[in-house]
Amino acid sequence: MIKEMRRLIPLLALAALPAWGSTVYFSFNQHATENLFQTRDAVSDRVSSFSLAIDQDLSALSLLARAEYSAFHETTGLSFFAADIGLDYILAAGRKSALYLAAGGAGQFYQQAFGPFSSLGAHLLGAFKTYLAPSSILKFQWQGTYAAYKDSLFDFLSQTASLSIDKYFPSRTTLKADAEYGYKYFLHPFLPDPLEGTSAAPMLMSGGGSGGQGLQGGGTGGSGSGGGWGGQRYQGGSGFIPRYDSAGGGAGIGHVSVSLLAAQGLGDAVGLSASAVRQWIVSGESPFLSIEEFYLVQNPSADSFSWDGHQLNGRLTFSLPWDISLKGGYTFSDKTYPGVESLGPDGLPLGIIRNDRRNLIEARLQKDFRRLSLFVAYSYVDNASTDPLFDWSSHYLMGGFEWNLPTGRKGGV
Amino acid sequence: MSPMIAVIPVLALLAGAPTLDQAPGHFYNIDTEIRVEATVREIVLEPRYKGTAPFLVLRVEESGGARTFDVEIAPSWFFGQDVHGGEKVQIVGSLAETPGKTPTIIARELRYRGETFQLRDKRGFPNWQGGPKGKRGIRRFGRT
Repeated sequence: MIKEMRRLIPLLALAALPAWGSTVYFSFNQHATENLFQTRDAVSDRVSSFSLAIDQDLSALSLLARAEYSAFHETTGLSFFAADIGLDYILAAGRKSALYLAAGGAGQFYQQAFGPFSSLGAHLLGAFKTYLAPSSILKFQWQGTYAAYKDSLFDFLSQTASLSIDKYFPSRTTLKADAEYGYKYFLHPFLPDPLEGTSAAPMLMSGGGSGGQGLQGGGTGGSGSGGGWGGQRYQGGSGFIPRYDSAGGGAGIGHVSVSLLAAQGLGDAVGLSASAVRQWIVSGESPFLSIEEFYLVQNPSADSFSWDGHQLNGRLTFSLPWDISLKGGYTFSDKTYPGVESLGPDGLPLGIIRNDRRNLIEARLQKDFRRLSLFVAYSYVDNASTDPLFDWSSHYLMGGFEWNLPTGRKGGV
Repeated sequence: MSPMIAVIPVLALLAGAPTLDQAPGHFYNIDTEIRVEATVREIVLEPRYKGTAPFLVLRVEESGGARTFDVEIAPSWFFGQDVHGGEKVQIVGSLAETPGKTPTIIARELRYRGETFQLRDKRGFPNWQGGPKGKRGIRRFGRT
């Protein structure tokens, strides 16, 4: 893939250069992590990400194309190419309201053992925003997403709908309330029962699976000598384990959530905000026995649909002289994953649903130049879980730049 | 066909797309750049340029009540940011005055709630369009 990227980059550059009237973005981010797979068995890595994007406005329509390549220096099999295209449209509905529509497609392409993560997807989004009064905003948003993975276990349809209202007070305080409903339906998340003589999916026999280092060794059963999903789970693997169900079929999980946010301006250069989210799973549960999440990798087994619990966040922003900004934040979350088992060191269920309590500290310093932004960021995560494999903590460090090049126009629109 | 190669025609399509018309007599003039501290009195969405989406325009009152301005922000900001009436803002932008009309500031920089937003670069080139950091609209909104 790296060879392909070497051929692709000049082509992208050539395609971007004549994009007269559009804005071209190029960014480079360098990451360093102590715990790529975010488990007790820490694996460090460095990741270099390159991104090129072009945005073109055509009347009220905006077109976007983006290509990104992320190279993992140690776990090279996780290196991936991603691309997405989209268009969006803003339609004024009077002077105080507007409708926003967006459609797009996206793909992520992995290689080697992580091929099952490769996916193609599409999404639709509609939003309506209106000023009830100059100091109060009402917003409604709906989004539907479909994604098909190389390993069809992860194929899904999802939708979320949210409604929010906020109010700004003369004391420079903003209060915001948000309610959301979301539903995710995995189309066929179960493996066929191995005892019925049906062989598991070919890629499960390859010893690859989706899992971090689970590249060799015995599987969870049913896939012969292949490692497969979770094959090395308790010997350094990533942690993902699917369920067997000869009946097959799909599985859905639905949630509702409410969130409250309070933001306070302190002078002209300092902003403070605090927010709280409470989410309830109202239907179904995760179809997977054990789920995982990797740093920087969109993982199909765990996302915002998976958990029941709450999250608290505090954030401080400073706007400093010379176009420098400093942001810091702290997040605490207590999440239970219905359907997901806590497993002991021997791989056997402990009889309790997995629960994670996480502390996250973040800081970011950014300096903006005329066409260039430089940043360094740091974060620290401490995750305590009822599943010993997911008791972990890690430091993350990243830095990079974003360079944007508007083409064609003379300082106007 | 390789999925990577499939991106190229899309980029080429964008490359071949027609450019926007420049509204005559209404462009960013560095020589008229001013800095204003003001309070937002009204937020409206209205057409400002031929061939673009409607713009988010802030009607602001300079601190001390000396002057009022229409501040052109950007087309996508109506969804991407929530600016409220009554909020105190600092604006850097190009002043365009037309006799008999409220003076207009084409905003280059907007600071409020302790954050600074670069809407244009120092020569006035728009900086609000899409890009990988989701500056455009709400496409990349959401929480995990």
